[in-house]
Amino acid sequence: MKILVTAKRVTDPDMKIKVKPDGTGIVTDGMNYKINPFCEIAVEEALRIREKGNQAEIVVVGIGPKEAATELRTALAMGADRAILVLIDKYYDSTVVAKILKKIVEEEKPDLILTGKQAVDDDSNQASQMLAALLGYPQACFASKIELTDGGKKAKVTREVDGGLETIQVELPAIVSADLRLNEPRYPTVPNILKAKKKPLKEVPVDSLGIDVTPKTEFVKMTEPPTRKAGIKVPDVATLVDKLKNESKVL
Amino acid sequence: MASNFSIDKKDIFFTLFDLFEVEKIYKDIPAFRDQTREDFEMILSEAANFATNTIAPINQPGDKNPVRFEKGEVIVPKEYLEAYKQFCENGWVATSGDPEFGGQGLPNGIHSSASEMFFAASIAFYMYPGLTMAAARLIKAYGTEEMKKKYVHRLYTGEWQGTMCLTEPSAGSAVGDLKATAKREKDHYLITGQKIFISAGEHNMTSNHIHLVLARVEGAPKGIKGVSLFLVPKFMVNDDGTLGARNDVECIGIEHKMGIKASATCTLSFGENGKCIGYLIGEENKGIQYMFMMMNEARMGVGLQGLACASAAYLEALKYAQERIQGTSIEDFKNADAPRIPIIKHPDVKKMLATMKAYTEGMRMLCYQASVFADLAENSLDPEIKEKNHGLLDLYTPIVKAYCSDMGFKVTELAVQVFGGYGYCSEYPVEQYLRDCKIASIYEGTNGIQAMDLLGRKISMKGGLLLMTFLNDFNVWCEENTNHPAFGELVKKLEATKNRLAEVSMKFAELSMGGDMAYPAFSATNYLHMFGDTVLGWLWVKAAIVAEKKLNELFAKKGIKTDEAKAKEIAENPDAAFYDGKIKTAHFFVNHLMTRTEWLAQSILSLDRSGLDINFIQ
Ligand SMILES: Cc1cc2nc3c(=O)[nH]c(=O)nc-3n(C[C@H](O)[C@H](O)[C@H](O)COP(=O)(O)OP(=O)(O)OC[C@H]3O[C@@H](n4cnc5c(N)ncnc54)[C@H](O)[C@@H]3O)c2cc1C
Repeated sequence: MKILVTAKRVTDPDMKIKVKPDGTGIVTDGMNYKINPFCEIAVEEALRIREKGNQAEIVVVGIGPKEAATELRTALAMGADRAILVLIDKYYDSTVVAKILKKIVEEEKPDLILTGKQAVDDDSNQASQMLAALLGYPQACFASKIELTDGGKKAKVTREVDGGLETIQVELPAIVSADLRLNEPRYPTVPNILKAKKKPLKEVPVDSLGIDVTPKTEFVKMTEPPTRKAGIKVPDVATLVDKLKNESKVL
Repeated sequence: MASNFSIDKKDIFFTLFDLFEVEKIYKDIPAFRDQTREDFEMILSEAANFATNTIAPINQPGDKNPVRFEKGEVIVPKEYLEAYKQFCENGWVATSGDPEFGGQGLPNGIHSSASEMFFAASIAFYMYPGLTMAAARLIKAYGTEEMKKKYVHRLYTGEWQGTMCLTEPSAGSAVGDLKATAKREKDHYLITGQKIFISAGEHNMTSNHIHLVLARVEGAPKGIKGVSLFLVPKFMVNDDGTLGARNDVECIGIEHKMGIKASATCTLSFGENGKCIGYLIGEENKGIQYMFMMMNEARMGVGLQGLACASAAYLEALKYAQERIQGTSIEDFKNADAPRIPIIKHPDVKKMLATMKAYTEGMRMLCYQASVFADLAENSLDPEIKEKNHGLLDLYTPIVKAYCSDMGFKVTELAVQVFGGYGYCSEYPVEQYLRDCKIASIYEGTNGIQAMDLLGRKISMKGGLLLMTFLNDFNVWCEENTNHPAFGELVKKLEATKNRLAEVSMKFAELSMGGDMAYPAFSATNYLHMFGDTVLGWLWVKAAIVAEKKLNELFAKKGIKTDEAKAKEIAENPDAAFYDGKIKTAHFFVNHLMTRTEWLAQSILSLDRSGLDINFIQ
């Protein structure tokens, strides 16, 4: 079988993010990047499916600038077989991502498409669902467990939903998005890191895909979250109650 | 635990790739030719992830629940088992090992940098694989083909533990006084004796132990010239690689220590029943020569421990100083309502942090430079370059070991100071760094022994050639840079310090020519520190020159021209702040820390022997 996995390059969630004063984006000077943690889980899951004895080719896809190859290399070092990087250098939204992925899926014809449930930079959580709609494939989002059934023709997916777990079965090809508890991704080993550069990584300019990449949304502005005002000390309980009643109106 | 363990990847990358341009150096070495900066960065990033996420979290538990000794077995803290297994599976044991035997074939420069990260996360933990790697490399270099086949691979994977067994109760610094004996028996020897303080000598993380033991063959000459090296497996290894009978070597106790409590420090008894089998490595009576390979590597490793502790403690202190609010600005001393400020704003705290930064990053440059010497000494195709770097590595090894362990301890001590009372309490991690770091100045040859090695052996080696090579390069560099538009002043100060070092070195030569042994030995530690400070000064000015170039490129790329705009960029852009910080720290080091060389020089050149002449009474 063939498994297609996404690997998005995102800003390191452990770093402090600063918004540019003119609101056109974030300050990228000195920024570190990482593979989106949910995508990392998706890659890990693909590897585990293969390790369970399923013959599988694992192809990772990234969309972004040339530098996004670094995150694809990480996925290759974890054990994926080859990578495709769709180069795009202008603003794009989830609809564009879904259209690009659709094109790649049409070319690659994978049996299973694994994605992260969302990217930790823009937190949109919609590319996978849109992709399923465009392709007309079944989808199972927020997976916490994946099991191939029916000789690999179907996937049984446990989903984390509010207040519990839901288990559904989808027919392949399908799209499954990974949630946090699906697995704990492995570290790439040193030999695999060194092998990763010998694995194929194909760069595809987005224009060559012959699709319309006009986003459905428009980027307007980015602002910092409001900083919390410093607290004040009140002399006694009466003042506190008064302030809660009349100033903040919580009582 | 209130730990903020971090690794200064930015500085590590700057030092490797911008300052030393290792990628260019490695391009000329066939073994490393296909490795690119991208590979190195990825490997080091993964090393940083592993150190941060898997090793650092077990460092404090290991301190609270040290190794235990039960009926001849040594039990490591339970967290160690899984971490060690993963560490091995991920291929971190033999990063610089020969690929033919399952090593990863990376250069020493990259190995050192990964080692720094692992040590920073936990000295106690990384000592286990560190020793294994050094033991395997020794066997690979001097062992028979059969030994190589049997042992190296299993050590490189971390499946077995390697140890180095030199020390005995009456043979610590004086290794040549050791008493362990070896009696020839057909194809092997029978070893008898006791070794103490053997790191990783016994534990439950590996299925076998391969001890490298120094012992004296019957009838061998006295002293160091009569010492031979033996390979002693804990379990005998059959020809098919399976484990055979238990050898007659036993752990009879472990030490309870000030720090690195999760590292097993064992007393090993060899041949209690007269049946301890050992295999000779190389030739009889040449043991110390072979062991020196392992010791030199271990000395580099110990220098890295000093650096690593310093780095971890400094980064903890830096974070704490930015968060801890205490007092008001000195400028506001009359105003009781002045805002309370983070302690980093107090000039005395700044001074401590600047000192820590200057020594830490300086030691990093020193350690990595020595590793690059090692790469060129081992692998350069040009025999002249090979020879030269061999010499420089020999010269630098005692400095790396002793200077970095002393200054690393100094930096961890400052970290405790920055934390105030909290630093003294075990809720915060810095007091553990202080305790863990202390061992580095003691083992692998005490720092006193290192100083004697530098002054007594290295300086006079090959008729003073090593020192001459070093000073020649230094002279040429000073001449080329003395009129540097931005750093000419610093270069001139450095030049004066270098000349002072040369002057002091000449004085020692003169004294020893006159037969004075005691005074040079009395001053050897001062000399080593003077040497270290001078090398760090040189490295700092080099770093400043590179940083300034990078900073100007950054300004040019963004079209930043006015001083105001530059200051704004430095305030807002972490990359610009990084380069600017490098430049300022270079000034700080040269003017405030390198000046220590002057009092060291004055002490040495005073020729005052009163300290030697005190009649100590109780
Ligand atoms: C935690 C730990 C781990 C260790 N691991 C190992 C190991 O794995 N393998 C191993 O073989 N050993 C190991 N050691 C032993 C260590 O290398 C020795 O402790 C060290 O070499 C010093 O020897 P000593 O303790 O006998 O001190 P001594 O030699 O008694 O030294 C005491 C003091 O006298 C000074 N001194 C002694 N002789 C001279 C001299 N000629 N000139 C100037 N000063 C001198 C020393 O510098 C020191 O300050 C370990 C020790 C510890 C504590």
